[in-house]
Amino acid sequence: MARVLVADDSETILLLMRTRLELAGHEVETAADGQEVTELVRESEPDLLLLDAMMPRKSGLDALRELRAAGVAVPVLIVSAHQDAGDADSPTDLEISGYVNKPIDFDRLLEEIAALTRS
Amino acid sequence: MAVIGVGRFIQQRQDFEDAIARSYQVEIGARTRLAEGIGSEVARKAIATQADRRDELRERISDDTRDTAILVAAGLIAGLTGALLLFSGLIASMRRPLEELVDAAGRLAAGDRRARVEIGGLSETAALGAAFNEMADELEREASKRDQLDRLKDEFVLTASHELRSPLTSVQGFAELLMLERDSLTQKQVETVQIILDNCRHLVRLLNDLLDLARSDAGRLSIQAQPTELAPLIDDTVRTMRAQTEPAHQVLNERIDPDLPLVNVEPGRIRQILVNLLTNAHEYCPEGASIAMTARAEGDEVVLAVIDDGPGIPETQLEQIFERFTRGDAGLTQRVGGTGLGLAISKSLVELHGGRIEVDSTVGQGSTFSVRLPVAAAADAGGQRRATAEAS
Repeated sequence: MARVLVADDSETILLLMRTRLELAGHEVETAADGQEVTELVRESEPDLLLLDAMMPRKSGLDALRELRAAGVAVPVLIVSAHQDAGDADSPTDLEISGYVNKPIDFDRLLEEIAALTRS
Repeated sequence: MAVIGVGRFIQQRQDFEDAIARSYQVEIGARTRLAEGIGSEVARKAIATQADRRDELRERISDDTRDTAILVAAGLIAGLTGALLLFSGLIASMRRPLEELVDAAGRLAAGDRRARVEIGGLSETAALGAAFNEMADELEREASKRDQLDRLKDEFVLTASHELRSPLTSVQGFAELLMLERDSLTQKQVETVQIILDNCRHLVRLLNDLLDLARSDAGRLSIQAQPTELAPLIDDTVRTMRAQTEPAHQVLNERIDPDLPLVNVEPGRIRQILVNLLTNAHEYCPEGASIAMTARAEGDEVVLAVIDDGPGIPETQLEQIFERFTRGDAGLTQRVGGTGLGLAISKSLVELHGGRIEVDSTVGQGSTFSVRLPVAAAADAGGQRRATAEAS
């Protein structure tokens, strides 16, 4: 099972994610903004990032840009409340593995996590 | 000049006529004297002179008349020529401004909000030009106000849809969590959670539909078409829909013509249209109804149809059925969970694909919704077939 770092500015969403992912056997750490993401990634080297695209202070995409610039190659799924996440104007240089739309289809999300962390 | 000439002519003629009259009086006097035998030699001479004098006067009248007529005619010709010259000058000076106005009005009508005219010259045409520019200014102000309102509306829909999604994610997510532990819930609790979940799905559909409509209004609803084989797509959609029709004991059949030509479409959008039509059939038909999904080639079109034997749609509702927020009677009584947006979006989507959507319905017998899509151009289709052949 994988170690997943989940970042979202909503505590409720974090609780939901943690509960569902732990039920599926994953180990979950949470971050409330992009700043915490960059710190936690260096500390605990998770197998996968689940980043909310829009967060206060530092957005998920900004944190990812910083991590990629520092040579961190961890797979990333972007969670977005926009129905059309992953459309034309998504960044192509950040090696984003996939997009997850809200509300989250957890069956699909768990499948993707399994696929991305299978080593 | 002619007027003065004519005036003088009339005056002179009067003088001549008076002279002639006087000459008659002189002659009558002379004849009286002759009859009375007074100075008969002088009188006879006077009579003869008076007749000559009158002839001379009459000749002068006639000469004057001719001269005056010539003068009048010349005057008229000169006047007309002058007027004509003046008029053609006027026309020439009006023609350019009018052409400019026509051109600017055309551009304005075609959507060029900056179309204005620059007209000087005659005060009348200049005023016309100024009035036109004023009108165009007003139109531009109105249009930009409308644009701003439209942008605000789009922004609002986008923000609302975004902000609603997060709490909705929580509600749906935690309800699903409860359902994961359904074995430890009572039947009543399971039903309650199921209602929460059904309504979450309904809200998500509504949000997605609203977003699509806002995009459609803003002209930002776009499709990425590719040559597509419809049969597997229809097959998959129908199979998914059976999860809803089977619990209602509705029969959902599919009839797809073999050798259906390729169509140039965005597969996800066609699936969205079919799901809309099939969901409507499912929701508006009673338990045990029959629904058929058919696909056939017809000329240079592929016709996809959803046919049901449900209650049908009254003629009065058929006209506005593709308008947003229009719902059938069953929808209005809340038995059906539709948003009233599905058909409006389906219509926009079908039209974006260069196709048409039609409805045919008889109350008590059922409804048929048909989507007509143009067959992909031969070159695209060929390319796609080759690609498929190489892949297999």
